[in-house]
Amino acid sequence: MEIIPGVVISLSLIVGFMAKISMILFLILSIIMVRQESLMDKVVNLPIGKSLKILTWGYFLFSLFVTVIVLLV
Amino acid sequence: MPEVFKAENVKAESEEIKKLLSGGFSGRSFGSCVPRPHRFRFEAQQDDETVLLLGRRHFVTNLRWIAMLCFAFVIPFVWGEFPFLKALDSNTLVSVTMLWYMALIFFGMQSFLMWFYNVYIITNERLVDVDFIGLLSKTVNVAQISRVEDVNYTQKGILASFFNYGDVIIQTASEQRTPDTAGEMSAFTFESVAFPDKVAGVISQLTEEAEKPWK
Repeated sequence: MEIIPGVVISLSLIVGFMAKISMILFLILSIIMVRQESLMDKVVNLPIGKSLKILTWGYFLFSLFVTVIVLLV
Repeated sequence: MPEVFKAENVKAESEEIKKLLSGGFSGRSFGSCVPRPHRFRFEAQQDDETVLLLGRRHFVTNLRWIAMLCFAFVIPFVWGEFPFLKALDSNTLVSVTMLWYMALIFFGMQSFLMWFYNVYIITNERLVDVDFIGLLSKTVNVAQISRVEDVNYTQKGILASFFNYGDVIIQTASEQRTPDTAGEMSAFTFESVAFPDKVAGVISQLTEEAEKPWK
């Protein structure tokens, strides 16, 4: 299917575009989770809270890395 | 001026409370019912306030989302069976797989955080129920022990009977409806708590002691 001259719109292109958008969305959600975890830790200060903070930051960095790779490929 | 009388701020823990807290509970950080939690503080905790019991939903209640995660984890291994995904090129398929696992990890972490931080706290003065609903809202209910009127608990279902957990419902003098009470009997419903009989016993004992301050 060629709507824009020179650009072939295929199923892979559409799904790939949607996957990239979803990844950006998850990246935003992961930074919200980091913020929310620190707020939760403030309300309920448990000794393990610091490890959970590291875990959420780890997830954010992981999703940032994956998103950047997928966007560049 | 010489000090004639100094009121004792910290209320001593009674023998009955000590006895109730001494046996049966789990003492680990991930425990569903932790008596006298070590190095634990909560927002607005007063200096003379002692945390007697920290609890959260029983770990068994997490089995549903853990089973879902396990099932979802193996789905990408059979991507080839779906005709829609078979039509995609390899790069897109890798992107979709990465997205799938990112979403799974997010779902798992979010479910775990919701379980871990949705706690109830019983101190020598107050009851605190911390409810986080999703990532963006929280409700904190606080009631003085002296304002507790009724405490009861229910256990429903096979799992609840087998693993000994249930709902502890606490009616306070000023019963109010908060956003988290939809479907709950009271603002202070400790849902799916481990050892509901002992939790109800501790609260009843504290209420009794609060009504008899001379004791």
